[in-house]
Amino acid sequence: MNRCAVIGIGQTRHAAKRDDVSLAGLVREAALRALADAGLGFSDIDAVVIGKAPDTFEGVMMPELYLADALGAVGKPMMRVHTAGSVGGSTAIVAAHLVQAGVHKRVLTVAFEKQSESEAMWALSPKFPFQPPLLAGAGGYFAPLVRSYIRRSGAPPEVGIKVSVKDRKNALKNPYAHLLLPDISDEVVEKSPMLWDPIRYLETCPSSDGAAAMVLAAEDSLGGVTNPAWVLASEVRSEPTMFAGRDQVNPRAGRDCAKALYAGAGITEPRRQIDVAEVYVPFSWFEPMWMENLGFAPENEGWRLTLDGATSMTGDLPINPSGGVLSTNPIGASGMIRFAEAAMQVRGTAGAHQVDGAKIAMGHAYGGASQFFAMWLVGRDKP
Amino acid sequence: MSDVMRAPYVLEYGYRRSTGPVIGQFLTALRDGRLVGGKTARGRVIVPPTEYDPETGDAVDELVPVGDAGVVTTWTWVAEPAPGQPLARPFAWALVKLDGADTAMLHAVDAGEPSRMKTGMRVRARFRAERSGTILDLEAFLPEQAS
Repeated sequence: MNRCAVIGIGQTRHAAKRDDVSLAGLVREAALRALADAGLGFSDIDAVVIGKAPDTFEGVMMPELYLADALGAVGKPMMRVHTAGSVGGSTAIVAAHLVQAGVHKRVLTVAFEKQSESEAMWALSPKFPFQPPLLAGAGGYFAPLVRSYIRRSGAPPEVGIKVSVKDRKNALKNPYAHLLLPDISDEVVEKSPMLWDPIRYLETCPSSDGAAAMVLAAEDSLGGVTNPAWVLASEVRSEPTMFAGRDQVNPRAGRDCAKALYAGAGITEPRRQIDVAEVYVPFSWFEPMWMENLGFAPENEGWRLTLDGATSMTGDLPINPSGGVLSTNPIGASGMIRFAEAAMQVRGTAGAHQVDGAKIAMGHAYGGASQFFAMWLVGRDKP
Repeated sequence: MSDVMRAPYVLEYGYRRSTGPVIGQFLTALRDGRLVGGKTARGRVIVPPTEYDPETGDAVDELVPVGDAGVVTTWTWVAEPAPGQPLARPFAWALVKLDGADTAMLHAVDAGEPSRMKTGMRVRARFRAERSGTILDLEAFLPEQAS
């Protein structure tokens, strides 16, 4: 397998409504920033890999066809990836595979969502005849899983609040973050309305318009980039929505994905060897749940990492220095933002939310009913 | 077959669109009863404008006025218009290359009968009196000279 590195990263200004741009203008903004970061133009790119969440969200079928012009993809291979909320991650992985397999030298990968034009809430809640409804949106689906986690682990009720305050404070240091709440505190979160017990309003992600893009390159095509983020390992796993005995709190697909990821990068002690992680946390309680799923904590102990401050910027395993999905959620792009932020950490380009000396970082995304997983590890040093 | 289970299933979502700076200007011009095209870096004028040059991918920033008359480059007759089509009476779908444009746009020609349609004929835009910024502000094209 050929080596692959991230040499360019771009994000849009994420906001509730980007009325100033079309869908094409939105993806273009991220793509141009990634190219500028790499010191390249569209003519230097061999292929484009694009991802977004379901077409029913914005109601534009196969948007990749219409977006080819905006992404300089005319006459080039272009492909679409679709794995629900994890798509931003799996899209980057498909792009990396094209480089690792030696098919292309430089691949532009882009993911987006324009929630202001979309109906994500109801597109996730169709009431099909003869099937149980998934209830109202993602929160309605995930709240029972959080309740189950609290019951199983005995986690104290303030854990979700702590995660929310941490990520919202981190977001204040990220110039691209959507939701900026400078006066955030435990009390403010606690007093926010309960939406889906135990998930409060300020423990949920916003609806965002945004896009993220990266340029991935082969070892001999780094151009003038001297601080690439090397792809150390990447994995995707999925499992069906429903089957007998399925553990939705700690899904097997996620555990298997992490295990294979660590094996691929020679990681034996993830908590000690990984310096920082961008983990897909759209509802606060998913931080402790994923800490266990990813093997950073023993089962039923993930909440201790949050309460002990291990996942804060000053802890030994900072989680979501960018402010995470809780602060910015253009659904299809959210996974790629995690992957891109991980790469920024090992490139040393994360600015005010940089974790000093980060050498190995994880990007993580999940989607569907906690059933699609995409993860990568990136490193400062060439593997 | 009376025991086959059936249930109605209607799925409807209310979508919104941000047109962006280029298409937005085209629609605004239509509302004002004008037609504009996008001028590419190579000097081609594309109507309706695209945000990005289909040949090069470069941004199309410059919008220029084009004529409200032009030439039919190809057409097909609609003898029985369907609901929602631009005209309720028989009409032609045509590609019309407006004066000053390098590409042709699709619209309706209100010619009355197919014998009045001919590739190469000149047509002129008829705008609605009340316009709202959509492509149907241009109600239809009319043959320029009654023959």
